[in-house]
Amino acid sequence: MNAIEIKNLNKSFGDLKAVQDVSFHVQTGEVLGLLGPNGAGKSTTISMLSGLLNPTNGDATIMGHSVTKEPAAAKASLGVVPQDIALYPDLSARENLLFWGKMYGLRGPALQSRVDEVLSIIGLADRQKDKVGKFSGGMKRRVNIGAALLHKPAVIIMDEPTVGIDPQSRRHILDNVKELNQQGMTVLYTTHYMEEAAELSHHIAIMDQGKLIAYGTYNELITLVGEQTRIDITLNSEAEKILPTWRKTLGVSKIDETDGRITALADDSNRILPRLFDSAAEMDVRITSIDIQEPNLETVFLHLTGRALRD
Amino acid sequence: MKTLDIALKDLTHSFRSVFAVGMMVVAPLMLTGLIYFAFGGISSGEQSMPAVKVGLLNLDEMPANAQLEVPLGDNIRSMFFVGSVAPWITASDYADETSLRRALDEQEIGVAVIIPKDFSAQYLIGNKEAQVVVMSDPTLSIGPAVVQNMVTSMLDGVSGAGIALETLQFRQQANGIQPDTAHIPAWMEGYTTWYADFQRTLFHNPNQAAFIMVAPSAGQTETTDPIQKVMGLTLAGQMIFFAFFSGAFAMMSILDESENGTLARLFTTPTDRTAILAGKFLAVFITVIMQGLVLLVAGHYVFGISWGEPAGVALALTGQVIAASGLGVLMISFVKSSRQGGPVLGGGLTALGMLGGLMTSNMPNALPAAMNTIAKFTPQGWVLETWQMVMAGSPVTDLLVPFAVMLGTGLVMFTLGSLQFRKRFA
Repeated sequence: MNAIEIKNLNKSFGDLKAVQDVSFHVQTGEVLGLLGPNGAGKSTTISMLSGLLNPTNGDATIMGHSVTKEPAAAKASLGVVPQDIALYPDLSARENLLFWGKMYGLRGPALQSRVDEVLSIIGLADRQKDKVGKFSGGMKRRVNIGAALLHKPAVIIMDEPTVGIDPQSRRHILDNVKELNQQGMTVLYTTHYMEEAAELSHHIAIMDQGKLIAYGTYNELITLVGEQTRIDITLNSEAEKILPTWRKTLGVSKIDETDGRITALADDSNRILPRLFDSAAEMDVRITSIDIQEPNLETVFLHLTGRALRD
Repeated sequence: MKTLDIALKDLTHSFRSVFAVGMMVVAPLMLTGLIYFAFGGISSGEQSMPAVKVGLLNLDEMPANAQLEVPLGDNIRSMFFVGSVAPWITASDYADETSLRRALDEQEIGVAVIIPKDFSAQYLIGNKEAQVVVMSDPTLSIGPAVVQNMVTSMLDGVSGAGIALETLQFRQQANGIQPDTAHIPAWMEGYTTWYADFQRTLFHNPNQAAFIMVAPSAGQTETTDPIQKVMGLTLAGQMIFFAFFSGAFAMMSILDESENGTLARLFTTPTDRTAILAGKFLAVFITVIMQGLVLLVAGHYVFGISWGEPAGVALALTGQVIAASGLGVLMISFVKSSRQGGPVLGGGLTALGMLGGLMTSNMPNALPAAMNTIAKFTPQGWVLETWQMVMAGSPVTDLLVPFAVMLGTGLVMFTLGSLQFRKRFA
């Protein structure tokens, strides 16, 4: 059984088509990483799954419950960790968890014991009486996640849960996700960090401009780009001066410039790099740094869209 | 149940906020307190102003063959020793004019009254030179005026009795009846008693007296004390003003939640949106009710204010809560952000409060009639009028019209605001 099933999902805001005919599924018990640059449609898709937005067309199910026809049942199976901290800063960590637990229908001793469990999971049992407003960014993120775990949901959606936090809290959150998944929880995880998606995900879906452009396991996606190597280059002058020349260079399949950094895909970097250096010298352009990477999800995105997967 | 949980969470948030508590309770009490101290501060209901110290020298004697039971001087003197004036007049007798004048010079007394030796005899024969001398400390104004008024009233009564007696004797003689002189003292006493009662009734009636100089007796409520009355009206105005602020600011929590992401998170839980909105509205109602109750109790115990009959108070408070909550919900439903909310609510509610008469609540007749008409177009104006009626002792039946207006406008505003919110967060 698929924990999440998305069928031909569409969402338009006036003339803007934010999500276009997206279909994919998340198998029960797996982690799916949803990747894409800003504006790709990830948040809109998640908003439709969590009941915040109604689809223009199409439907989705959470544990078999349609988000449009049985929203309450779908929501009861779902825990949502929003990208921004959505907690009450003047309430303590425990008070926050108690409140959110009640919103999921928990009461009495069951609620109290579950809050104790969640505080232990997120590692904040000793700070439970402190107001959330006094917590560090990482601690707030952990409470933010804890609030979505209270009702032991079958599915949890995490929207960029590690943005802007210290490495220690990030590690704690990633370990939590793995542990929850090992306990049987299905996770839909969006992130900008390729290494997080690679580390956590059983399957990865990549969105761009409102469309699903790739879906598969990490290895399946990497094979899309073959053995191509990614080369990141920075120059001491405007990239536009040399990009037309480099695009014609034999062995360069894709090349793009973002924020002053040029990213190229090459079949064989050992043979390509001398050509790039030669043409730069001929045009009096100085290469100030160069970075060669084996194929990864960034490479996949570049291969599929011709653009780098960066903010 | 979730509605109650949301309301309790909002109330916890409100009462942990120093700003919210300040706006709800501290500010109205502080503003009223400033006025309280400006009026002298003592308003316990036992004494409303310092007692006037009166020194008396009564030299009057009973004239020969006078148809009086006691000399007029004794009647004048006894006025200052009756129990009803004791809270605001302290009288003492002096043996001679020298000691009386010394007491006045040394400010042991504020007013000296000298009744000359043959005052009754001269007064009864119509000698215009017969005078009771009233001397006073030049730094005092109200006390001497009161004493002079009392003496004048007494002598007017005696003169009136004389005129009444002459008229009676003239009419008896015109009808061929020989007046029985044995009855004359009883007639004069009867007239004087009637006149004293008339004066007392006239000047003790709040609707007729320009200035009330009486301490409350056992049968009167504390609102007859002018300072307490001013305090009551002042705090009523402040309470209404800040009740409308509390209603609006409590409702503004929905904007805060929308901006902080907690409202969206609430919508991702299996909680009906109607229940979420109902929880927010319930918190507004409870906040305004609690604020009103706290101010009513504090006003009573801190400033000695008597708010009126419990049924009337309950009606006024209920109307206030509905009107304040309704306006708060309506205004916030059209405000886009909490940043926008501050100035919009501050300006809007202050303007409505001023138009409703809340800033001049302790001076009901100070404003032009047009302003009173304008006040009728604001919810605050109706709430204030209801409280004024309750504090003036109006029966509950008289409160039904203003209550119906508050209820009607409050519910209409609440409904419009609710519909706008439903549309906004659908």
